Amino acid sequence: MSARAVRPKLSFLGVAGRHNRVPSPYPWLMPVILVMGLFYLYPVVDVFRYAFTDLTLLGGEGHYTLSTFANVLTRPELLQIVWVTFVFTAGSVVGQQLIGLAMALVVVRAEKRHLFGTTILRTTALIAWVVPGIAGGIIWKMLFNEAPFGGLNSLLRLMGMAPVQWLSDPDVVMWSVVLSNVWRGTAFSMVVMYAALKAIDPSLYEAAEVDGASARQKLFFVTLPQLRPAILVNMILITIQTLNTFDAIISLTGGGPGRATEVLSLYTFNVVFRNYDLAAGSVLSILMLVISLGLALVYASFLPKDEKA
Amino acid sequence: MKKSLMAALAAATALGCLPAIAEDLITSDRVGPSDAPKKMVFRMTGDGPSSTDPTWAAGYAKLYTDFINNHPGWQLELQMMTGDISQEQARMLEQAKAGHAPDCAAVDSFVLPLFKEAGVLKSLSPYFTKEEIDQLFPFVRDGITGKDGQIYAWWWSTDLRVLYRNTEIVPNAPETWADAKAAALQSVEAGMEGILFNGSRYEGTTFDWLGNFWGQGGKLVDDAGKPVFADADNRDKFVKAVNYYRDLVESGAAPKRVTTIGNYDDLNAAALAGTSALFVGGNWQYRQLQNAMEPEEFAKWSFSMLPGITVDERSTGTGGWTVAAFSSEPEKVEMCAALAREIYMGPANALQEQLPTRADLYDKYDVFKSEANQTFAKALKVGQARPGVLIYPEISNQIQIMMGKVLTGAATTDAAVDDAFKATLDAYARL
Repeated sequence: MSARAVRPKLSFLGVAGRHNRVPSPYPWLMPVILVMGLFYLYPVVDVFRYAFTDLTLLGGEGHYTLSTFANVLTRPELLQIVWVTFVFTAGSVVGQQLIGLAMALVVVRAEKRHLFGTTILRTTALIAWVVPGIAGGIIWKMLFNEAPFGGLNSLLRLMGMAPVQWLSDPDVVMWSVVLSNVWRGTAFSMVVMYAALKAIDPSLYEAAEVDGASARQKLFFVTLPQLRPAILVNMILITIQTLNTFDAIISLTGGGPGRATEVLSLYTFNVVFRNYDLAAGSVLSILMLVISLGLALVYASFLPKDEKA
Repeated sequence: MKKSLMAALAAATALGCLPAIAEDLITSDRVGPSDAPKKMVFRMTGDGPSSTDPTWAAGYAKLYTDFINNHPGWQLELQMMTGDISQEQARMLEQAKAGHAPDCAAVDSFVLPLFKEAGVLKSLSPYFTKEEIDQLFPFVRDGITGKDGQIYAWWWSTDLRVLYRNTEIVPNAPETWADAKAAALQSVEAGMEGILFNGSRYEGTTFDWLGNFWGQGGKLVDDAGKPVFADADNRDKFVKAVNYYRDLVESGAAPKRVTTIGNYDDLNAAALAGTSALFVGGNWQYRQLQNAMEPEEFAKWSFSMLPGITVDERSTGTGGWTVAAFSSEPEKVEMCAALAREIYMGPANALQEQLPTRADLYDKYDVFKSEANQTFAKALKVGQARPGVLIYPEISNQIQIMMGKVLTGAATTDAAVDDAFKATLDAYARL
């Protein structure tokens, strides 16, 4: 075989001809494509494939069917679980965003004034972030323990206040779970907001001061508009993260009492690992993916055009 | 010259051997020499050298050391399970189906049918005599035997649920539900929390409560394994048993926080803190309380059979752990059977005072002649194991959800029971 015959076949590998100076990108992209395909795409494809079957963890080959979709999406408990997921996600995202922003503002302000304790504040918040979800759940379970020796209720009693049914009252338990999740996730929002605050051009504040803007006006007309892209990106990230949270809930309440704190991710986990229903779990995973993508698109539509590009 | 050379060689050999001599035979994840040519992976619960109870840990360390010394050339790689047994067992089943299971593992008796059905276990029949198998309690023997008559695990311990009480506050053992409620209210008047039991999303919630349903003659599944717990024959008994717990909470005989209890340690903690005088627990907790309490404090505690709707309608749930082999190498299956036999079939029962599954072992070990263990053994006679059917985990899951709704007042008993039954039947149809 002549060299001329070989050359065109090898060109896709980046073997440039004498006059072709532009190397092919494929050899450089192949490792990434392979890794992404193997570790990210293949499992996703498998989940879609399982969703169209009746596979269980108990054995058997399974058959292709659409009945799993119909069965899962018409379950009477699904609506309640989606509602619980919405409340948990909305509460957590709003809480993490607001407190994270407030903490970042305090840290930046304190740094400007060279106040003592800013590093301690940042480090303390970050400690909560690095605590694994299961451990965080156990810590909060001890704090919320409603026994006479429970953490928070003992403090309330010391202050002469009535104990709270943190985990046994269906109307309170969701907010206890949100509180524990906000505690854990706020540090991430703080770090994102802190970085974005540091990137704001100081001349904008100088101009606002020249115009006689008050601190409140500077916050609403300079800081927040400048933070908008960071806030939206942070919202996307923490929404997806919160939708996938189940480790902290499983160790704190197990989804109970009843189904009061059973979010979609925990329900999916239960369906797969307690009902052994792999196909139904796959359908629920696709539902979670659709919800996450839908919310991400909604957030992204609010991004300024130039940031999107 | 020759002598000096020999001495130098001897010294070098001795020095070379030092690390091996100094090496611990037991580490947190290994038993036996690290360079042993043969290795068996054993996935285990806390019933081993890593037990949180120092006495048990030391006892197991000795048992494992003796075992590995009896099997030169072997090392055991120990893999610890977490406390979430349902998840651990489901994951192990999936691993087994994919061919990645450990060589040998602890399998909870209530999920053993799933492993047998999946065909992932190796027969242990060649390694146990007919006499040993015949000594097993019938429900145990049935549980480990496959359709082909082979045994696929060794069920080494069993347990049961009882009612613990502080005799200083509750002197007499409650025998009926009405007695239990009265005793709990009496303890509340004495400044206690009332009766405690598992009531959250946890397998123990279902299992500890089922005795109240079984005691009336209720059945969870029919002979074909189909859920029947709320059909025409059983619904009334089921609702009565649920309403017993509901009444305890609504009357103040039990605190509402029972819906957050999902761990037997929480019950021990309340007993140790002196905030509860009455709780539904497992027989193994008797030894735990003894180890954790001062002798004069422990002397106040006693236990009795779970109360029933009447004195004659009482039952209790019995469970336990098995050891099963997954390896495709016969040598490792034999080693797994040896582990079950030499460590768990008797010695571990005696060490932890975990009730044996063989009638003859009650006479062999003195610890089982104690009054407490004789009482446990007597209660075993009305014990009932969870049905070995594929749908059981979902029945349990639905009972846990139902219990949460009922005890918090989020749903009426009838509505919650109907929801649970319908959800279980739907899941059964998909199996």
